[in-house]
Amino acid sequence: MNWRRILLSRFVVVPIILTIAIGGWNAYVALHAHGLLEGSVVDAAGKPVAGATVTLFAHDFVTQVEKAQTRSDEAGRFRFDDNNSHLVQLQAQDGTLTSPRVTIRLWFRAQDRVVEKPLQLASGG
Amino acid sequence: MTHRDRLLLWPRHAALVAISIIMLAPFYWVLKTAITSENIYAYPPHLLPERPQLFNFVDVWYLIPFPRYLFNSVVVSLIAVAGNLVLNAIAGYALTLPFIGRRSVIVLLLSCTLIPFQATIIPAYLITAHLDLLNSYLGLALPLLSTIVCIFIFKASFDAVPRSLIDAARIDGLGDVRILLRVMLPLSTPAIATNVVLSFIWSWNNFLWPLIITRSQDMQTLPLGLARFLSYMEDTTGALYAFVVMVLAPGLLVFLMAQSAFMRGLTTGATKG
Repeated sequence: MNWRRILLSRFVVVPIILTIAIGGWNAYVALHAHGLLEGSVVDAAGKPVAGATVTLFAHDFVTQVEKAQTRSDEAGRFRFDDNNSHLVQLQAQDGTLTSPRVTIRLWFRAQDRVVEKPLQLASGG
Repeated sequence: MTHRDRLLLWPRHAALVAISIIMLAPFYWVLKTAITSENIYAYPPHLLPERPQLFNFVDVWYLIPFPRYLFNSVVVSLIAVAGNLVLNAIAGYALTLPFIGRRSVIVLLLSCTLIPFQATIIPAYLITAHLDLLNSYLGLALPLLSTIVCIFIFKASFDAVPRSLIDAARIDGLGDVRILLRVMLPLSTPAIATNVVLSFIWSWNNFLWPLIITRSQDMQTLPLGLARFLSYMEDTTGALYAFVVMVLAPGLLVFLMAQSAFMRGLTTGATKG
């Protein structure tokens, strides 16, 4: 039996490549799925807002359900530690000022992500 | 080939390209919808995908138990492929041997191909229930463990093996099992590939049988998951078509890997006089 020919056939090579790719992806997921979600809140002028309430909504098939809340620090930064969804929305509120809901799409559940664009507060959201 | 012959090929090739485009257009549209969030009925339609992204595939993976459906489909298809290879090869070889009533068996098998599966589904269900295989992987694969078309593909391939080779093997003292394993099957790789492709695709796409014999969501296969997903989403946007692409991809991959041998397997024995 020609083992070299069998091992180099596409029926062996393709599954091996797929297995390596899936294994590599799973390893990457395992290393980057801590549920960390960070960002910042700014006012209409772009200055950081401390003490704003940031709400995290998680996608629940066809609706968004409120999952967690946190507050921004002195630098306007906020952080969620336990996001377990792949599709979330963030909204900030400070008194009467509200930011639009920002949809964040992740490549896998609980992916660690820093949201580059700040949540900008405005009257009426 | 002369210059004139080559010129005559152009219209044929152009016609084949046009037909291919018509045949592939629905697949392209599904793929395009899967990587955008456009509605498939959007008017005016965009020929090229606008703002392509792959998040619809992520949605499918997490919004339903896709990995479970995928695992079930893979297990059932592997059982069906293994059963087809073993049972069909044995049956195909038996049909090449001389025995009393051989012609009647062939006629009976060929006539059975005229009976649609829907007509025998109640007896099939009762037999499966009697064997206590409802809601099990083996039960899901049971009707596709051996298929008549694939038996005849093996038979045609075995018929094409020179008789002198089999006689020589017999003179060397080989029994039927070893002739099948050592002589027939190594010379019938196209038939094996055809069996693998057909049984895999039939099992992978099977909808009616899994719908009837599965009792729990944990045992459902991808086509049932697709129906469930459609009933949840009830729309015609990206995620649904991402699911369709994810269901189609493994079957396409298996076919592409085995296509050359598959073609040879289907035509083996076609020119035998």
